[in-house]
Amino acid sequence: MELSEKLVRGEGRFVDDIQMPGMLYLGFARSQYARAKILKISGAHLTHKEVNFEVVEVGEGATEGGPTALSHPVLANGYVGYVGQPVAAVYSDDRYTAEDLIDSVEIEYEPLKAIVDPEESLKREAMYPGVRSNAIVDRYFGKEFTPDPSDIVIERRLVNRRIATNPIEPRGIVAAYDGNKLTVWVSTQSAHSIKEGLSEALKMEPDRIRVVQVDTGGAFGLKGGLFPEYVVACYLAMKERRPVKWIETRREHLLASRPGRGVVANLKLYAKRDGTITGLKGDVIVDNGAFTGGSGEFSPMFIARQLAGAYYLPNAHVRALSVLTNKAPQGPYRGAGRPEAMYFIERLVDGLADELKMDPVELRLINAAKETYTSPLGMQVEKSRAFLESAIKELDYEKYKEKENVGFAFLILYHATAGGESARIKVEDGRLKVWTGGNAHGQRHDIFIKTLLKEELGVSEDLVDALKGDTDQLQDGVGAWGSRSSMVLSSAVIVAARKIKEQIEKKHGKYTLKALLDGNWDEYEFFKYDKTESSLGANLVTADVDGYGRVRVKECLSYYDAGRVLDPDNARGQNAGGAVQGIGQTLSEELAFDEDGLPLITSISDAGVLSADLVPKFGIKFHKSESPLPSKAKGIGEAPTIGVPIALSRAIEKATGKLIVETPIKPEYLLPAGKD
Amino acid sequence: MNPPTFEYFAPTGIDEVIDILAKYPGEAKILAGGQSIIPLLKSRISSIPYLVSLSEVKGLSYIDEGSEGVRIGAMTIDSDLENSDLVKKRFPILHDATEQLADPLVRNVGTIGGNLSHADPANDLPAVMIALGARFTLRGKGGSREVEAKDFFLDTFTTALEPEEVLTEINIPFWGKKSGGAYVKFKKNTWNFSVAAVAVQLELDGNRCRKAHIATTSVSPKSGRMEKAEKALIGAELNDHAISKAAAEVATSSEPVSDSYGPEEYKREILRRITREAINKALSRAGGN
Repeated sequence: MELSEKLVRGEGRFVDDIQMPGMLYLGFARSQYARAKILKISGAHLTHKEVNFEVVEVGEGATEGGPTALSHPVLANGYVGYVGQPVAAVYSDDRYTAEDLIDSVEIEYEPLKAIVDPEESLKREAMYPGVRSNAIVDRYFGKEFTPDPSDIVIERRLVNRRIATNPIEPRGIVAAYDGNKLTVWVSTQSAHSIKEGLSEALKMEPDRIRVVQVDTGGAFGLKGGLFPEYVVACYLAMKERRPVKWIETRREHLLASRPGRGVVANLKLYAKRDGTITGLKGDVIVDNGAFTGGSGEFSPMFIARQLAGAYYLPNAHVRALSVLTNKAPQGPYRGAGRPEAMYFIERLVDGLADELKMDPVELRLINAAKETYTSPLGMQVEKSRAFLESAIKELDYEKYKEKENVGFAFLILYHATAGGESARIKVEDGRLKVWTGGNAHGQRHDIFIKTLLKEELGVSEDLVDALKGDTDQLQDGVGAWGSRSSMVLSSAVIVAARKIKEQIEKKHGKYTLKALLDGNWDEYEFFKYDKTESSLGANLVTADVDGYGRVRVKECLSYYDAGRVLDPDNARGQNAGGAVQGIGQTLSEELAFDEDGLPLITSISDAGVLSADLVPKFGIKFHKSESPLPSKAKGIGEAPTIGVPIALSRAIEKATGKLIVETPIKPEYLLPAGKD
Repeated sequence: MNPPTFEYFAPTGIDEVIDILAKYPGEAKILAGGQSIIPLLKSRISSIPYLVSLSEVKGLSYIDEGSEGVRIGAMTIDSDLENSDLVKKRFPILHDATEQLADPLVRNVGTIGGNLSHADPANDLPAVMIALGARFTLRGKGGSREVEAKDFFLDTFTTALEPEEVLTEINIPFWGKKSGGAYVKFKKNTWNFSVAAVAVQLELDGNRCRKAHIATTSVSPKSGRMEKAEKALIGAELNDHAISKAAAEVATSSEPVSDSYGPEEYKREILRRITREAINKALSRAGGN
């Protein structure tokens, strides 16, 4: 049975479905304050005194190096930096009692004045002793330049506010220890990154840790890495020699997971009167949160480097900052820096079109890169003009332009292909078992793995078991994020299959399916790849706004370069799901805080997640320019969260005549003036 | 999350229910459809040591037409009200409200009695019952008593129910021939509470307004009659001027607070606009313009 069918039938086995005799349930007493000293803790089972590890970041965007003063302590070490930070742990034989115990932990605090706004943080005292500045990243990209005094300048302060990743299944782990080996079952995007992180945090030899990915109910970037709670669960399993389960509640997810976006950009776009872009200046400020261990050390650079969009940008000078605030660490969320960068440049381009009274798509054509080049900000921008010309036709822009409030987005998606990926194919008893370094967490990796094995080896789909990540079955692996699996993971599967084919040819003179299925074969391939690939995309969105300022998204169309489309159904599903998230980000999703750093959003009903009645009609067309990889595919998983907020913001601008510079767009901002 | 420990009772008779309530005064609460109480328990916002379920008590779910009005059993689920032709014909305002109440999953389990007894100012039915001039039957140790909807809601989550009393029936009187009502709700998405909502019930005398009841949802600590706004309508010809005046009165006399649903002034403005919409809709249903 296909994985997706199994999940839809309710036959999935998620981490919370795991039951073991003697299992302990873990719970966390969390900070009530955004910033405070801890004076006293009583009634807890575990505190920093005993569990004094730190979490070093892993997963997408991880930087090298060990713990620093800013590393996230597993349990709070004398101070707290955000509401929801784990302070102490309790456990019990059942979940109900564990939750009672959380309520019985008493923590005495000395509250300090919270630092909430990232721009204010730059002017405030350093958050921690021994830290020089609240800017943990402050780097320049490009080169200072002097704009032509006759150039037009479009200046904007653009904001993508923080949002929770909100997978249906929150974070969760089960850990067990037999005296030598720690086994972990986890909801994750990467079994190997969890293994690596645990090994570092617990200072254990990697071969004493096995990490198994169970069915994972959505992740969106959040589940690429290790979390403090996981380290405590493993520590407790080893201490008590009993299995330990921790399942995040939705409230904990909203307070204390790793929310995405949270970026401000102050930018100036320079252009000639004929529309030719001449330069870009300004800064990008990431709201990092209180500790490292998320993606804040990486995301400002990644955003700044992409700010040329898919255009020819001759000059640029951008400062990239990441700033400490009293919030949970920022983390990757579907696109992880890509949607922010494209939102910023695309909003500026729409602004320039209005200033010049030009058609915004016409202006995009003028500036689309005619040749592949490396932008002054550092990323290679592929030639994009021909793609844009076909996008305009395929999306029927001219037709919509006449009749609708239409927004158009032009994007470049940088795939996280660098680092490559692994696969292992084992043939025994006439069946093929396949393990891969990245795995489905809402996609359908199993489908394309089977398609490719049919092509490579002629083996029918029902003889293939595409298994979940397991570090004991696969010596190394990376993970499923950054629109990479259809590119590097599929290529690892292809190369491993070809290796088996070669062996069979060597042994039997030629390859036959019978020889494959009758034999015992086992091939592991780490498909090495160092280059960051990219693909182009475009979105067209139409929307109306009623007399109450309510937005009705009508149509949401995509035109993406997917290279070879390995699984059209999955690609369509990725498009619809990503578009829903893109609409949610634009219209309603936000993790808001008050001036004391107290979260205003503590329930899923207030988190602004789109309900089904607000979902429009979707359409997707594929541009098929094959990638240089063995699979010839290009990832598109993050394209809709990049393109849809851009196109929808523009459609709303057209509908209301109001300048859109922030996501989500506040409903009160869109409320038209009263007529009476 | 999981609730703290509680003791659960599911008696089969209403007297038994009242006995249990009387045995644990203030500590026992009625469980009807559970659409408010279960989330409160699960999120550990509330702790209730004794839960008394009405699920096994027979005869509390009905919509009966009498000569004076319609009687509704407290355990009648919201979707039964939504799908009732009687409700749709006689009290379109209640149909408006039940059709927009949360989502179908909630409506299939949530009850009218629970919605009212919980007295959440963001619940839809308090304002509707106040606008309709409904009377509630409260059963207690010494028998039953009747309370008018407008006197039932004392404060946020606080009603005229004594600790050992249960709301058993809602009695909605018929209005005059030229009458009509409407409930207009403004919400951001399907499942959420409203930013603001308003219930308007009118009765006409020729082209003048004889009787008007207006009550709001989500914009005050409790739902109550908006008497100043009603006065702007009563005796008046319901033209644009009168309607605007009443709508402005509703907006001014409401008490919204800034929160994640929007700033105070935004809520007032939404309320003003939906009140205009609701009065116009009620007027047209009453056979006015």
